[in-house]
Amino acid sequence: MKRLFLLALFLVTAASTWAQERFVFTPQWTAQSQFAGYYVAQEKGFYRDAGIDVEIVHPTATMSAMKRISNNESQATTLQVCQAMEIIDGGIPLVNILQTSMNNAMVIVSRRGVDPLTQKGARVGIWSVGFGQLAICMSLKDGLDYEWIRFANNVNLFIKGAIDATLAMSYNEYYQLVQAGYEMNDLIVYRFCDHGYNVQEDGVYMTREYYEGHKEQARKFADASRRGWEWAAEHPEETLDIVMKYVKENKIVTNRTMQRLMLAEVLRLQIDRESGLREFRLRPDMVKMASDLMVEYMMLGNEVTYEQLTED
Amino acid sequence: MKNPIQYIRQSLSRKLSLWIVFFAAVIFNVALGFMFTQSLRAVRQEAISRASKELDNTVLRVNSIIQLVETATDNTDWLITRHLDAPDSMFVYSRRILQNNPELNGCSIAFEPYYFQDKDRGRYFSAYTYNDNGNFYTSQEGNDHYEYFYMDWYQTAKLLDQPVWSEPFVDVNPEIHDSKEIIASYSKPIKDKDGTYIGTIATDISLSWLSETISAVKPYPNSYSMMIGQGGTFFVHPDPEKLFYQTIFTETLEHDDPAMADLGHAMLRGEEGMRELRMDGQDCYVFYKPLGDTGWSVAIVCPESDIFGGYKRLQQMVFFIVVIGLILMFLVFSRIVSYELKPLRRLADQAGTIAKGHFDQKLPDDDRSDEIGQLTHSFGDMQQSLMQYIDRLQSATAQKATIESELKIANTIQLNMLPRVFPPFPERGDIDLYASMAPAKDVGGDLFDFYLRDEKLFFCIGDVSGKGVPAAMVMAVTLSLLRHSSSHETDPAKVIQMVNETLCKGNDYDMFVTLLLGVLDLPTGRLRYCSAGHDAPLILHDGTISTLTCQPNLPLAILPEMRYKVQEYKLEPGSTLFLYTDGLTEAMNADHEQFGMDRVREQLSACMNDAPRQILERVQDGVHAFVQDAEQSDDLTMLAFRYTPGEFATILSEKITLSCDLKRVPELNAFIASVAQKLGADATVTGQLQLAVEEIVVNVMNYAYPEGKKGFVTIKVMSDGHQLRMVVIDSGVPFDPTLREKADTTLSAEERPIGGLGIFLVRELMDTINYERVDNRNILMMIKTIK
Repeated sequence: MKRLFLLALFLVTAASTWAQERFVFTPQWTAQSQFAGYYVAQEKGFYRDAGIDVEIVHPTATMSAMKRISNNESQATTLQVCQAMEIIDGGIPLVNILQTSMNNAMVIVSRRGVDPLTQKGARVGIWSVGFGQLAICMSLKDGLDYEWIRFANNVNLFIKGAIDATLAMSYNEYYQLVQAGYEMNDLIVYRFCDHGYNVQEDGVYMTREYYEGHKEQARKFADASRRGWEWAAEHPEETLDIVMKYVKENKIVTNRTMQRLMLAEVLRLQIDRESGLREFRLRPDMVKMASDLMVEYMMLGNEVTYEQLTED
Repeated sequence: MKNPIQYIRQSLSRKLSLWIVFFAAVIFNVALGFMFTQSLRAVRQEAISRASKELDNTVLRVNSIIQLVETATDNTDWLITRHLDAPDSMFVYSRRILQNNPELNGCSIAFEPYYFQDKDRGRYFSAYTYNDNGNFYTSQEGNDHYEYFYMDWYQTAKLLDQPVWSEPFVDVNPEIHDSKEIIASYSKPIKDKDGTYIGTIATDISLSWLSETISAVKPYPNSYSMMIGQGGTFFVHPDPEKLFYQTIFTETLEHDDPAMADLGHAMLRGEEGMRELRMDGQDCYVFYKPLGDTGWSVAIVCPESDIFGGYKRLQQMVFFIVVIGLILMFLVFSRIVSYELKPLRRLADQAGTIAKGHFDQKLPDDDRSDEIGQLTHSFGDMQQSLMQYIDRLQSATAQKATIESELKIANTIQLNMLPRVFPPFPERGDIDLYASMAPAKDVGGDLFDFYLRDEKLFFCIGDVSGKGVPAAMVMAVTLSLLRHSSSHETDPAKVIQMVNETLCKGNDYDMFVTLLLGVLDLPTGRLRYCSAGHDAPLILHDGTISTLTCQPNLPLAILPEMRYKVQEYKLEPGSTLFLYTDGLTEAMNADHEQFGMDRVREQLSACMNDAPRQILERVQDGVHAFVQDAEQSDDLTMLAFRYTPGEFATILSEKITLSCDLKRVPELNAFIASVAQKLGADATVTGQLQLAVEEIVVNVMNYAYPEGKKGFVTIKVMSDGHQLRMVVIDSGVPFDPTLREKADTTLSAEERPIGGLGIFLVRELMDTINYERVDNRNILMMIKTIK
């Protein structure tokens, strides 16, 4: 049974024939508004303008983004800060060349119409691919003792009533639930960012090894990507057109409404709460908080510092 | 186009037809409105029951498919549990399920990680068979890239601990580029004999199977079916944009649509029902029902235009037919009414012709018995009556014309009865008379007359009451009576009395006559007169206007016993007497103002010394100027004469008084002879004079005085050389010899009445004689021109 849940793309071609100059960027997930800035930079020619030959290759079921990085098939990918820390702690040094998210997007949505914090021992869905480190920490820290049910990549377990609550990204699964007719309110939605877990998420990473040899290229890619995001913030509807183009090319099962909501939320998350600006920087305090939490709850063997994540 | 209201009003048939059509339209409207309301309800009910039935059937059929999957899975269940010691048999079972149930797409018998570790199996063990167009491929499907135990189909059954249908999902077959199939899985937890969960068996069915079944449901041409999963995703939908990509809520997120959201929630709750809402821009009826325990819900969307399409078409058709029918009705009724009214129109036309004066216009010959027939007959009768009336009118007019012409003749005759020759006495210098009568209309009742007898001017003026023929007749009678009576009577009162008596006898019509009769003794100016209720004449003399005093006597023909008295007046020479009827004073102008006595006097005073003719003409002009165009209401009659006696220049005057003794007659003869001689008269004339005087004197001597009374008679002879006047005066009994009838000479002398022959002789011998009785004396004057 060749079952590929929602991951429906077949762009896997002979990967190792790329010319040296070619810069392959692989977003962490299938094509969606979460990566709008990169699509824009590609489509509007910002990468070309910067003098780099970028190809965007999405991951497949059999070839995840990190696997491509490890295989040196892709030069950069997006990761959440916590993920990057885990990978670095696992022995693969990574460099954050561009930080896009300034806020945490993770939420817990309860099925039972009650505050997730009161549901001790509840079955809570979690991504099988390894997001949700903060949720595990929080469950432990707050003594909620959740039973984590790993799901592939959708909200069907939740919808079927097989679990009591689920983790969700405020730009993705959250809206999937809304589209499924699920009515959200403050009682049933727990936002990590509002409870002392506001840790940044998406950023662009490459292996330190690659980075050391291609600093200029990395800088160019980061700058052009940032330009793409800024353009997207200013032209959301045209950006949406570009996103939908990628969605269609990759045969992603989604719809424009969903992508519009996602784009708006992703762009919102890029604005720093304190400065009110799209800062595009990693915040040392957030890195420190995440590292401390993950160390405390045994998710990291050692602390991963801000300096380890950043360029120099 | 002319004013439509005007156009309709002009024709009764249009008006009538329009009313009929109007009421028919109202009735149609009410009836059809009721019918359509009822049928709308029925159509709706029918549509609901039809769609519901269709939906029920569909759900039944889908359920049978679902049941098939469930049964196939359930039937394998016990085999797995029994052969847990032989993992490879799982491949056989999964394959057998598919072989036994070709409708199924695939079957996984999957176990918890490392479940068969003791049988040298690794982390993954899932026996999977899939059906590729009748070819069955069986393999072990779990690997690092496909951790089946995280999959929904696996986990849902595990977590819920019961058989469950997964949300449909897209199954991509990497071997077939671009292919994609929507799959639904029925999963059931596998438990060992201790009841511990050890894995999940899942059978897949292609949703296209379901989809075809569901999509085939099409109760109406534009209706469609859809199916949503438990997450609201469209798993069956005709729109490829929506199918699988969107949920029933997607569009409501951007465009608020509570009705749609409510429908979605109701379907997700597994409810069954019908809703009316707007979908894709049209009003639709949505019938929905859950699909067994799958958590899915099927709906049939029926556009209202489809459901009521036939109804609407029928409605439009009926409306069209009604409109056409009403128009036809109008036209037909117009024609019918118009046809029915044709006789009426013809009648109207002919009536118009008749109205123009063509009375002999033939009316439509119609034997209808309805109102129009009645009207035609009535009209015909009216026409007949009208024609008869007109005939009568014509003959009456002709008669009237005849009468009028006869009246004209009568008028002429009447006028001819009056003296017409003016001046009437051209040979006389002592009297100038003029009279005029202007009849008001037709024949009048005014009269006047005058004549001279024995040196006496007889004149009269009168007015008969009323007008027309009776008045004219009375006038003629009065005039004749006057002539006759005055011929042997010089006393106006007596004449009037006689006339009155006669008139009273035959007066059955209460008519009366005012009359003034006067006798003027021309030699003396002695005027004797009598008025029977007539206006008093005016005397114009010496620059003054005075009224002749008249007694207020009754008019004639009222009282036969009435006694009239004579009045006397001495008319001075140079006086003018002016007589008139009330037509003068009562002449009216347009303002009903009368001419009046003052204006008469005013006119007269301006022409006092004129001749009578001028006076009358002036007064007449004055009246005309006053009356102007107003119609003359009464006859206007005037009579005036001027008395101007000439001087008798006596050159000879002789007198002899004799006692009444016949013996003295020779003295008389001698006296006459001597006078004649003095005047130079010849013997013939002398003889004539002697004979005339002797005749009178002898008569006086014989009869004037009573027997035994001694009396005298005086004879005066005067002459101006041209004319001779002989006057015989006696104091005997009053005797007017001039009143004696003219002698009937056919009788012998003895048979004749006394005096009769004598006076006849005197008249023959003399030019004229005149009798007056003054101061108890009889004065008879005889006049003869001698040279």
